[in-house]
This record gives sequence, structure tokens and C-alpha cells, in this order.
Amino acid sequence: MTTAIAVDGLSRHYRDHQALTDVSFEIGTPCIAGLLGRNGAGKTTLLRILAGQEFATSGTVRIFGGGPLENDAVLRRMILVREDQTYPDLRVRHAISAASLMYPNWDVELAGALLDTFELPMNRPIKKLSRGMRTALGITVGLAARAELTLFDEPYSGLDAVARTLFYDRLLADYTEHPRCIVLSTHLIDEAAELLDRVLVIDHGRLVLDAPTDELRGAATTVMGAASGVDRFIAGRTTLDRQSMGTHTRAVMVGRLDQRDRELADHLHLRLEDVTLQQLAVYAAEHPDPSGLIPARAS
Amino acid sequence: MRATPVLSVIRYLLLDRITYLVLPWGWAAFGFLIDVVVLRLTPAGHTDHRWVGGLGAVFLVMLTVGIQSVARALPFALTLGVSRRSYFLGVVALALALAVCFGLVVALGQIAERATGGWGMDMAYFRVPYVLDGPWYQSWLTATTAFALLFVYGMWYGLVFRRAGLPGTTVFGAAQLAVLALAAVVATWVHGWKDIGHLFTTLTATGLTACLAAVLAVMLAGGFATMRRLTI
Repeated sequence: MTTAIAVDGLSRHYRDHQALTDVSFEIGTPCIAGLLGRNGAGKTTLLRILAGQEFATSGTVRIFGGGPLENDAVLRRMILVREDQTYPDLRVRHAISAASLMYPNWDVELAGALLDTFELPMNRPIKKLSRGMRTALGITVGLAARAELTLFDEPYSGLDAVARTLFYDRLLADYTEHPRCIVLSTHLIDEAAELLDRVLVIDHGRLVLDAPTDELRGAATTVMGAASGVDRFIAGRTTLDRQSMGTHTRAVMVGRLDQRDRELADHLHLRLEDVTLQQLAVYAAEHPDPSGLIPARAS
Repeated sequence: MRATPVLSVIRYLLLDRITYLVLPWGWAAFGFLIDVVVLRLTPAGHTDHRWVGGLGAVFLVMLTVGIQSVARALPFALTLGVSRRSYFLGVVALALALAVCFGLVVALGQIAERATGGWGMDMAYFRVPYVLDGPWYQSWLTATTAFALLFVYGMWYGLVFRRAGLPGTTVFGAAQLAVLALAAVVATWVHGWKDIGHLFTTLTATGLTACLAAVLAVMLAGGFATMRRLTI
């Protein structure tokens, strides 16, 4: 697997705000990676630095082995479509033409199919599109560009559930046909969970979780039942959360379960549920260094 | 063969033909009509040249087109993997190409204007006393330089606005006024106004064009320096 993104010790400091602190990770290609985190966590800043649109205070960024800043050879291999994307005062067809000028692998047929799918009127001025339609335009440009590194910052903002499903389907179909490196920053983690090969969680500018999705599935479990039973079950294990209501207790524990664990849970009349990626991201943000839960690569 | 990034930027900008091609000469045509109406309604007097200022609209539109070239089009270009340097070079190349073509229109307009006796009414629309009133090639050069200068000046303002917002743009404008005021103070201290007046009265159109070209070079350097630190 070729390294598409290599970030080492990246920090970004603004006058009164530390947006990113000592972030380090690598992402190979092909891969679909999810960049997860709360509002203001630093996701957009990170993506902007990756795309050469923002400057790092310290640290290094390598895209396909080269620095992205003012590097045409690297930049023409990547695209960043943002939630708050600013478009020129043009029509939809002009934006499509503009993108086709810049990308050697631009797929005219895919662009046309996506425009049809999202029912985007080619001749409508972009400023008169609804928020969802502007988002759909960004998705169309981002996918049809077939850039080797495609960065989507909150790509489904304003899209309804049907359009989001269409996006996931199209993204997966196109990725299967043309594997490349795609990074999605999103809040809707569980919706996109099936797409993701890799998950990175950012909180307060720090990378708190970086792991393959397969390793995260089943990495933590919610245990529910009588307090005594739950306490016995989770004894000696790392817990991320514990809440009691009367005699009923709900605890989130780190670690994979084997057959003996399941038999014990059955014996104690406990209910077990896998923790979803969304919940894991929340816990990772709350417990930046949970032993057992796969932590971010040391920087 | 794939176009170079700079050529792609030019083609990208020219997707908005209304702004770059139609708007300046739409305003020129409108100004021309207004001037014709005004001259029809006012007495001719005893002059061979009835100077009008309609052509100034084209120069002002070039200033706003320069602002527009970075205000809205720049963020999407950077999204599409264009570097700041390529974008800047593309915009400047387009500005120079437009300036050359527009300057030629002015020069040809002067020729037509002289051949038709000022459009049959002694109107000097394409001519400006002293500045654009020489041979066609001189007018072409001067108009080209002025068009390019205003476009790049507008672009620089647009870049400053993108980088520093309204407060920064206000400071930028105020700083220029401060420099001019300081120059005036220095000229007063060293009793240089007489020499300055002499310079302006003896400066030829060619000399003026050279001065404009020097200012253009400063604008280009300032614009590029601003672009290099721009974030979106």
C-alpha cells in the first residue's frame, strides 16, 4: 500500500486558539478514511493544511511524498471539497466545466450521472441553489474529479436521508471501480461506518484515536443488567463509562469478548451490545488515553 | 496534451465571459450612448474636440473586474488543486491579455473617431487630452498599461480583503493615503512642489506610460506577496 498522506508533529496555532496539537498519522492508498470529531475539533483545519490551503505552525505534511504547499505536481492529484465551499458567480455547468479543466481523470459520464441523480439543473446559477443542492454539486465535483486523494469536509451537510444514501452508494461503487484514497470528515459516523476502512478521531486539536475500522468493531462493549452482575463482569477491565439507575447498571468496557465471556454474561443475565463507531468516537474524545482501546499512533 | 496550470486558470476565469468580456464594453457602449445624448442636447461651442469622459467607465470596470477575479473565483480554484502561484500567474496573464486587447480597441476607436470627425459631432470619446491623444500605437501602449494597472490594483485589493477582511482593507487603503500624505509633507519640507509641477508639465505621454508601468510592477510584487500568504 502506497502512503498517500503522512503527517508528523503537525500543529496549528492561531492568535488565541490552538487548532491542532502535535498530530501524526499516515494513510495509505487505496483507503476510505473517516475523520471524526466534534464541531471545532480541528478537522477542517487539518484538511485545509493537507490541501495546502492553510499553513502549519509546525510539523510536516507529505502528500504522495511531496509537500502540498504551492506544489502543483501534488495539488493536481488531490481535491478538497468543503462544507462551506465558495463558488464563483457561475452556473452549475460552469463549475462542472471548471473542474473538468483541472483534473486529467475527470469522468464526464459519472458527472452527468451524479447531476441526474441529485437532480441538479445545469443552467441554474450556483448562488440560487439550495444548501442541499450546493452540497450535491460539491459531491459531484469531488467524485467525478477522480483525484488520487479526495478530501470531503462534511460532504453531506444539508442533504436529506435519501440523497445521503445515494452518495454512499455512488461513493462505494466508484471506489470499488477506481480505488483511491478518500478522506471524509463527518459527524454522521454510524451512517458512514460501513464505508470506512480507517477511523481517525480528533478532539480539541489532538488525534485521540487512529485505527482500522475492523479493529474497532467489537473493541468495546456495553454491558447492561443488575449492578452486582455488571460489576462482577467488568471487574479487572478498563471501563469507559458507567451509569446506574436504581439496581440497573450500564457500563462500557474495553476489550474483546470470547465465548467464556458471553457464557458468563448469560449466566449473570446481562445484556451485551457492541459499541458503535459513533459511541467509540465519543468515548475516545472523553478518554484520550483509554488503555486497551486502540489509541492514536504516538507522535 | 494537458494544459499547463496557468492556462487552465485562464480558461477557468474565462468561463465567466460576462464579467471579463461583456461587462467592460457593455459599460463602454452605455457611456458612449450617454455621451452622444449629452452632446446632442448641449451647444457645440467653438471647439474641434468635445471631450467626454465615458471611456473612464471601462477603466473603472477593469478595477472591479480585478477585485472579482479573486473575490469569488479564487477559493474554488484552490479547491480544484490550483496553487496560489499558478492562480496569480493565470490572473495576471489574463489581465495583460485583456489589457492588450482593450488597449487595441481604444487605439482603433481613436482612428475611427478621427476618421469620422468625432462621430459626426466632434466627440472625443476614445481620446483623453494629453494622455490618450497621440498616435495610435502610443495610445495603445498607454491604454494597455492603464488597463493592466487598474486590473492588478483591483486584484490586490481583493486579495487584501480575502486575507484581512474589511478592517484590513480599510487599513490598506489608509496606508496608501498615509504614504501620499507623507510624500506631500516631505515635498513641502524640501520645497519640492515647484519641481514636481515642472515634472508633470514636461512629462510626455511616453514618460507617463513608463511611470504607470513602474507602479504596475509595484502592484504585481505587492499582489504576489499577499497571495503567497493567503488562506481560504
